[in-house]
Amino acid sequence: MKISNIQSLKRFGKVSFFILSVTFSVISFKASAQGEALFKSKCATCHQPLKNSTGPKLFQVRDKWAAGGAKEGSIYQWVNNWQSAAASDPYAAGVSKWSQTAMSAFPDLKKEEINAIFDWVDSQKEATEQKDGGVTPLEPGSPDESDEEGSLGWIWIVMGVIFVVIILAVGGVRRQLNVVTSDNPDSQEKMTYGEEFRTWAWKNRLYVGLASLVLVISVIVSLFQGLYRINVVEGYQPSQPIAFPHDRHAGVNGIDCKYCHNSVTKSKSAGIPSVNVCMNCHKQINGEGKPFAGEVKKIYEAAGWDVSSGAGKYTGKTKPIVWNKVHVLPDHVYFNHSQHVVVGGVDCKQCHGDMTKMNGTAMVQPVEELNKIEGNIKLTKPTLTMGWCIECHGAKDVALGNGKNAYYDEIHRRLMNNDKTLYKKYLNGDGKVTVSELGGWECAKCHY
Amino acid sequence: MGITRKYWKGIEELKQTPEFIKHKEQEFPNQQTIEEFLSDDKLAETSTARRDFLKFLGFSVAAATLAACEAPVTKAVPYVVKPENVTPGMPTWYASTYYDGYSYASILVKTREGRPIFIKGNKEYGFTKGGVNPQVIASVLGLYDSERLSGPLANKKSTSWSNVDKEITSAIKSAKKVTLLSNTLISPSLNRVISEMATALNGESGSKFEHIQYDAVSYSAIREANLKSFGASIIPGYDFSKAKTVVSIDADFLNSWLLPTEFAVQYGLTRNPDSKWMSKHFQFESILSVSGSNADYRGMVKPSELAGVLSYLIKGLGGSTSVSATIPASAKLAADEAIKSLKKSGKESLIVCGSNNVGLQILTNKLNNLLNAYGTTLDLTNTIELFKGDDHQVQKFVKDVVSGKGPEVLLMLGVNPVYSLPNGDAFGKALSNIKTTVSFASHEDETASLVKYICPDHHALEGWNDYKPKANHFAIAQPTIRPLHNTASALESLLVWNGKAQRGGKDSAVAYDYMAATFATQVPGADFAFTTHNSCTELATTSTALVYKDASVSNLPKSNDKEVVLYQKAGIGIGLQANNPWLQELPDPISKVTWDNYITMNPVTMENDGYATTYDQEHGLNLATVTVNGKSVTLPVYPLPGQAIGTIGIALGYGRGANGEKIGKAAFQTKEYGGYETENGKPKAIGANVYGFVSTVNGNIEYYNSAKIEKASGEYSIAATQIHHTVMGRHSIVRETTLGIYTSKDKEAYNPAHKLEKLNKEGEHEKRPMKEFDLWDAHPVEKIGHRWGMTVDLSSCIGCGSCLIACQSENNVPVVGKDEVRRGREMHWLRIDRYFSSDEEAAVGTRKDKETFSYDKAEDAAENPKVVHMPMMCHHCNHAPCETVCPVAATTHSNEGLNQMAYNRCIGTRYCANNCPYKVRRFNWFNYPSYKKFTEINPAQDDLGRMVLNPDVTVRTRGVMEKCSFCVQRIQATKLSAKKEARVVGDGEFATACSDSCPTNAIIVGDWNDVNSIIRKSSDDNRAYQALEEVGVKPNVWYKVKVRNEENSLLNKLQVVEEVAENKKAGH
Repeated sequence: MKISNIQSLKRFGKVSFFILSVTFSVISFKASAQGEALFKSKCATCHQPLKNSTGPKLFQVRDKWAAGGAKEGSIYQWVNNWQSAAASDPYAAGVSKWSQTAMSAFPDLKKEEINAIFDWVDSQKEATEQKDGGVTPLEPGSPDESDEEGSLGWIWIVMGVIFVVIILAVGGVRRQLNVVTSDNPDSQEKMTYGEEFRTWAWKNRLYVGLASLVLVISVIVSLFQGLYRINVVEGYQPSQPIAFPHDRHAGVNGIDCKYCHNSVTKSKSAGIPSVNVCMNCHKQINGEGKPFAGEVKKIYEAAGWDVSSGAGKYTGKTKPIVWNKVHVLPDHVYFNHSQHVVVGGVDCKQCHGDMTKMNGTAMVQPVEELNKIEGNIKLTKPTLTMGWCIECHGAKDVALGNGKNAYYDEIHRRLMNNDKTLYKKYLNGDGKVTVSELGGWECAKCHY
Repeated sequence: MGITRKYWKGIEELKQTPEFIKHKEQEFPNQQTIEEFLSDDKLAETSTARRDFLKFLGFSVAAATLAACEAPVTKAVPYVVKPENVTPGMPTWYASTYYDGYSYASILVKTREGRPIFIKGNKEYGFTKGGVNPQVIASVLGLYDSERLSGPLANKKSTSWSNVDKEITSAIKSAKKVTLLSNTLISPSLNRVISEMATALNGESGSKFEHIQYDAVSYSAIREANLKSFGASIIPGYDFSKAKTVVSIDADFLNSWLLPTEFAVQYGLTRNPDSKWMSKHFQFESILSVSGSNADYRGMVKPSELAGVLSYLIKGLGGSTSVSATIPASAKLAADEAIKSLKKSGKESLIVCGSNNVGLQILTNKLNNLLNAYGTTLDLTNTIELFKGDDHQVQKFVKDVVSGKGPEVLLMLGVNPVYSLPNGDAFGKALSNIKTTVSFASHEDETASLVKYICPDHHALEGWNDYKPKANHFAIAQPTIRPLHNTASALESLLVWNGKAQRGGKDSAVAYDYMAATFATQVPGADFAFTTHNSCTELATTSTALVYKDASVSNLPKSNDKEVVLYQKAGIGIGLQANNPWLQELPDPISKVTWDNYITMNPVTMENDGYATTYDQEHGLNLATVTVNGKSVTLPVYPLPGQAIGTIGIALGYGRGANGEKIGKAAFQTKEYGGYETENGKPKAIGANVYGFVSTVNGNIEYYNSAKIEKASGEYSIAATQIHHTVMGRHSIVRETTLGIYTSKDKEAYNPAHKLEKLNKEGEHEKRPMKEFDLWDAHPVEKIGHRWGMTVDLSSCIGCGSCLIACQSENNVPVVGKDEVRRGREMHWLRIDRYFSSDEEAAVGTRKDKETFSYDKAEDAAENPKVVHMPMMCHHCNHAPCETVCPVAATTHSNEGLNQMAYNRCIGTRYCANNCPYKVRRFNWFNYPSYKKFTEINPAQDDLGRMVLNPDVTVRTRGVMEKCSFCVQRIQATKLSAKKEARVVGDGEFATACSDSCPTNAIIVGDWNDVNSIIRKSSDDNRAYQALEEVGVKPNVWYKVKVRNEENSLLNKLQVVEEVAENKKAGH
């Protein structure tokens, strides 16, 4: 899976949508938007509205459950915790056999929110049908992504065309009237539509000028906003070979992040744990009879661990796990985890969010989510963009001269030797020496 | 100003030719055409109309925008079981040893995620004490050569080891005569398995098995001479660090002679004018060698005149010899001074002779004995165990093979006789008469392509090895990577064929086990693991008293009208790594020519004989045909000041792969737009093989001969970095003085501070030092955090080129090829400027005649110039002119004094390069890692070669500027480790790649704000000055005045404190 060209086209769709939405007034469909947002953040990893993927398609799933004889409200229970639903409802139990891959639990979703998701999902088919003139159904394999925005844009285009027709028609009527009422029909007759428009624009030049200015500025602003979103990977959560639940490990079992990502204090990369680290615990925890047994089996396969013979043994036939990288920096950026974790004392959750609550594999947490976490420095720029790094470097203070780190004590000593004007300049405004003041905004700190 | 010696970089500058004047204003001599810049071959081939072009342009803008949106999914594959000492993202260092039959060094190998990416000298262990040469550093690239054989071959077809083993074992068993022809094997384990083989095959007294050692460049005369003088066939240990007077008779001991890695370090220690004493170095030679360029006195002599020089010295010191003491005028002064100096230093003197003539070596022994130097600078106990090839034995063997009387089985290990024998062709043809021929070569080279079986040995970084380079030294080479291919250690192959072991496959422990056993017997009581960790250990030596006795001298070199001298260049050496693009592109320390072999002659001779002495991008050099021994080669003639009149110099090691053998992608001449130049359908070799030019005197191979030279028709373009990056007549770049002046006079005499006039309060002009003038507010780099600085000592820099290759390896500097170098687009971040000086000019160029100074008059003095090597890299100016002109702020200043270059921000206006007074910025004209022009030469263009790239440094793309970053990745890493360990950055902890690899410690880097640091003290030294200080850019690089240990009465008069003159001027 990758953020493909299709998605980038989708972003272009977004840009064009912005342009259109500025041209016309914006009306928001609040409920639908909520459903869409929820679907995208919670469901889209596994589900698609019109197509089976990791999970089954969700189009008209409520009707399907009702027709299948599911208990009333069972579907909501399923979403909150599918295991309890499967235990109480035979239909749900049947659904749980749809795939090996277990669905995540969403205990915090309310019934109305779930309904909003389903409402939005159900609206997808209609939108597609409208777009295709109601004749050709959407091909099962084709992506649905740009549909929702495209369909809205399509409405506006139709409306725009109607408006233009009306304006032209009115203009035509007015022309006819002018011709009829004119004293000198010849001179009027010679004016084409173009000339007439220009004459009209000239007469109302103030309004036309202002309107054009507003239009141009809005287009440029929206265009730049769109361009600034390019390659912003907030919310990126690629599929992974093993459905690793961070919340169970770091949350329920309270394993320290650094136990698995153990090079985080030594190296520039935090390190994806090697399989032997997994095996430290999973030699014992084989998940037998549990829904995650299949996932643990994948670890055994990778480690070459043969469970069939007694207490198990290593066969020596290993198979490395190929993960999809989540936090990918461009090649020209140097980032060092140990610098931030050991020297800077930055907590993992500042950048990665609260993984103790993350049901699933890692994801590039949107900055809004990061800001919700207590103790985090609040930032505004999207996660993993340079602006985001820079912002934090400008805000985070460096503990100087407290006797805890001889390196910074030396830096402090040198600052103090230097008639203190620089030190005072650093303290000015925020009363602290920030990373940026010690050179954290300089190019060659990250680019070489 | 006391500096009056005129420096010029090339004859072009000296003569001010029209081309030179035309081009000297340009940083980039040739502008690039649009077609070239677009670098799209298909575009160039089609007839693209303007409208089509615009369509393409529009489409590509859209496509580029779309492509920018794409974030490809990257995979991450963690270890299944992580090795204990590997942390992804962190380097792991291994101590090891390098030996290729030619160069030897104790090294440290840096690996990242299991792949070696950088080699440097080991300063803590081993007698080479951190000394390396460009070839050792560049050898890491050879590991990733995609044309290395990936498994055994039988009759040119890939086969399995078991097949090869079966056939070779039975061939050995049934043969009447088995010969192993190898280079000098200093491996105790290999020697043990060979003696086991001999015992097994020969029994009690048989002669079925014979081991012959053969060195491509022979040193057998030293051993033979010592046999005659001392009764032992040895090469003594040399200690240059104890020699107050060094007299080198045609021995390029800093570059190629015997053990330059050790000698350069020792020599460097004695070149510090601030220590108790400074050595005095005399060189008598024919071509201007690296050692000669560092000499205090240099005499130009033909090879046939060397005996006269030795005899003159012997007689001057009161000895007697039957050899006549006639010496040419061009060496008289140096010889007289040498006698004076030798008398003074007595036993603390060292005479070395680079000739392979037994007579000359006997005379050298006599001279050393006369001086009583044995026991101080020469060590007869701790002998050098390299170069054991015996010319007589080799000659006899070759004669037998050529005449069809060769062995039935011939094993060839570490040798390439078809290439390196004087009669290699005949030997190659005769190989087909031998029933079974086996080679251990890594490539299908000149010899290996003619043998029946090729059993490729591991690359040096892949296998276990042990070495005994000196009598008291045991070294271990450990693998730094799992073998990339299906190769096998030669040790294992020999063990298997001798029936002592089974093949162990890719992770074989056969060689390791055998080596560990050898170690246990050779170094009893020592711990193998501990020795491996250090890479070496000391052995006890047994001293046997050797008594000197006079030996008769005969067969001295005969005089000829034209004498050809065969020498070895710093990059290519004897041709072992001719396929290494880094080394091919390394500018020769003296001529600054890349990618080529040429004939060198003194420009004076050349002008008399009608050869062009100037050349540039458009004008090539004249070709000439040299005929020796009935063989002739046609090469361009390069003007080399300092070469003895009547001699012709040609480097060995070129002309590899003359029949299109697959010796590596970069070993051949490439065309202007990529692909190989071809000749008879085969790729054309670079240069010509001149091993056939050697002379055989009394069975000894000697590297000079009488020659005939004839001008040939046509011109040949040569790619030299010499005529680029001129100094524009600013002679404040290099400062030089003599030891006498330095020790007796005030700093103002030899290193005057640059002053400008300004008005004082009384309204009078006053000369004030440069530091008081400032155009801008100073960057706040002093006294706050770090300020990284560098000093380069011109006295200790020998110009070897190690720093340049180390920089290339560390910073992923692309290789650009001959055509691009010719256009002045080489990418080296660090260059070594070589300035020739002229004493004539000092005589004429007094300050009062400065205006009427004529460049033409200085020309004659170029015959034997003094040389200064000056490494030049980004000066990280605190008032950097490049920073102020960048329209996008892609190059900015850090508060640590670094001039930072942000590639992702650069838009390629090249304003910065134009504004740089040091001309050290490099522009990426092409996408070197992908454009087809560089496919053959750029290692980054193939999957294997790419593995050598340093993952901490960005690979730059087309259209951006780059330059020396002071190895900022190393600065950051050093700071980080200090921060993590909560300690201050130690002095000397940070080292750039260049300072790390410098054998003479000429380059020192460190934190200038640390007032107790070595760098701070070095930069505050009396000798420290800043190049082009008058420009006022306030660089963070200091040079230190070159001090020559010579008498120079002229300079003595000129370098005086100029108080009187100043007062006069101030009063105007």
